[in-house]
Amino acid sequence: MPSATASTNSSLSFRIAEFETLVDGLDYAASGETGCNFFTPRGELQAALTYREIRDRAVALAQRFTRAGVERGSRVALVAETSPDFLIFFFGCQYAGLIPVPVPLTIHLGGHDAYVERLRSMIGKAGAQIAVGPAEMLHYLKEAAGGLKMIGTPADFYDLPAEGGDLRPFAGHEACYIQYSSGSTSLPRGVFVSQRAITSNARGIGQHGLALRSGDRATSWLPLYHDMGLVGFCLTPMLSQITIDYLATKSFALRPLTWLKLISQYGGTISFSPTFGYDLCATRGLNGSAKTIDLSRWRVAGIGGEMVRSETLDRFAQTFGVTGFSPKAFLPSYGLAESTLAVTFASLDKGIEVDRIDQEHYTHTGNVAPVPIKVNSKKANGANRAARSFVICGAPMPDHEVEVRSEKNDRLTDHHVGRIVVRGPSVMDGYYNDPAATAAITTPDGWLDTGDLGYMIDGRLVVTGRRKDLVILNGLNIWPQDVEWAVEALEDVRGSDVACFSVIETDGNERMIVVLQCRLHDVAARENLRKRVAATVRRTCGADCRVVLVPPKTLKFTSSGKLSRSAVKADYISGELSDLNLAFTEHDDSAPAYSEQRS
Amino acid sequence: MQWTADKVQEEVVKLLRPFNPKGIEITSDTDLSADLFMDSVAAMNLVMEIEDRFEIDIPISLLPDVNSLQDLVDVVLAQLSKG
Repeated sequence: MPSATASTNSSLSFRIAEFETLVDGLDYAASGETGCNFFTPRGELQAALTYREIRDRAVALAQRFTRAGVERGSRVALVAETSPDFLIFFFGCQYAGLIPVPVPLTIHLGGHDAYVERLRSMIGKAGAQIAVGPAEMLHYLKEAAGGLKMIGTPADFYDLPAEGGDLRPFAGHEACYIQYSSGSTSLPRGVFVSQRAITSNARGIGQHGLALRSGDRATSWLPLYHDMGLVGFCLTPMLSQITIDYLATKSFALRPLTWLKLISQYGGTISFSPTFGYDLCATRGLNGSAKTIDLSRWRVAGIGGEMVRSETLDRFAQTFGVTGFSPKAFLPSYGLAESTLAVTFASLDKGIEVDRIDQEHYTHTGNVAPVPIKVNSKKANGANRAARSFVICGAPMPDHEVEVRSEKNDRLTDHHVGRIVVRGPSVMDGYYNDPAATAAITTPDGWLDTGDLGYMIDGRLVVTGRRKDLVILNGLNIWPQDVEWAVEALEDVRGSDVACFSVIETDGNERMIVVLQCRLHDVAARENLRKRVAATVRRTCGADCRVVLVPPKTLKFTSSGKLSRSAVKADYISGELSDLNLAFTEHDDSAPAYSEQRS
Repeated sequence: MQWTADKVQEEVVKLLRPFNPKGIEITSDTDLSADLFMDSVAAMNLVMEIEDRFEIDIPISLLPDVNSLQDLVDVVLAQLSKG
């Protein structure tokens, strides 16, 4: 039985992300006793590696890569399982001067073809020469990219000879890794993260956002192919010699309480999740574990990765208050992969702070119209005005700046909703091998346009929604184009017949809508098509949607002939789209009462 | 206990009941996505039920190749045979 790594180093002094490269940080952490622990689906310790062991194995692997003649700067696709092998390969690449490209796992029933297509486009766009994945996934990699120089399991690479292989680690001004967390399958966009960007971001997170202290311990089930998992719960803790306890994402999805049990058992002080993770735990409840779970040491319960929803977090705090969980531990944040990970953090030890606004005014004003008029919560004037709360995501990290701009790129004053733009050392140099996509999200004066909407109050950011078309359901990022293309490939459907978007319903939940121009006249045939569309969407992205069948020529297009999802969505919200087979639609009683979302 | 293919199928069909509120007839060819409307959240819940019932671990890397009930039963049998 392994024993878990310690939370503190006995003699190594604590340095929070003061390093110029990942290799410098890992070399330093390797002098202590902290490290990474991996747990089984039921929360038993499976493997424990100190940072010294991770470093030594990464160095040995790097020598194998160079001995095998892999050119410096080559890209290496890594299936990002939550496993010791992933860390060893990620850091092995750093010592060998190779650029790791974490690629995702998938959980969609029957999603084989969509998954292979996704891998193919990611590996192809990165120009990877090498792909590494666990044995049971090699067939996907081979099908996606059979022509690569080397495809194998971790063991295949450990078997290569090491003798005489050089180390040629990246310097501070060089590359670090490619992060795929934005972009559709059809047009994947890999964020090219430099050593400067990752170490700057880790410094902001560690020194400012979390104010890490010696003895802190991180706990994570976040996937390592997402920025929050990789940067927040792998690279930043490593650069600060913090021990991490890992639970695989699937294990969390199946048994969310295992996450909390690990925090309790090992004394985790820092853990993050998108809102839906807290929701999952609150829904399952304590399940009789109240006496055995102690969450009183959990000092930072971060929220990021999607819109922060205060009602869900309140529910979590109520459910788990009995375990000693303090709602003051909640730490809202805002960030995106294009800025490595983090941009803003709320203040520590304050919990969730919300800005209450006038719902009606917000709904009826344009993007940059003055909002919000403060609603007097004591109902002093006009008691019936509906209020809506947005969570305040805090101020930018030191050396980073956030502004809210109009469509014309003018800076907006407080309480005016507009485009959120970011500047600072964590911002990527660009998407890998994609200058056009990079230019499209860069303002004329060189700021990163995040694609999100929000407003400022006293230097603090409030995020209100996304301007870009991305759909996020249960933490899954779904690109409407992927859904539209999959549906358009069906029989009886033509190209440009489909529009996919999401709406926020009054309960705060996001729901995906697929509007389809239907040319079938037979009622039963239409219902059959509806079923096929829903099944295709599920196989493509693992999510449910509401399918709306409309007559031809209903969808709206821009003057340049591009589908205008925002115009179709506006028609949907206003009730102008009615289903051809109204009697057969299942959920009409719940439609459409939306609290949002102008685009 | 020794699990036969028929017995595994019978158990999996039982575990599928909560995911089949309309009570459609389930056969080996039933498509979990198309016929039972299982999204990824439902799939995760089903995987948990199956893991607990058979005391096995189902690697998620197998799920993309699971379309029908038969595919799912085959996965369970394969994992059972690994002990």
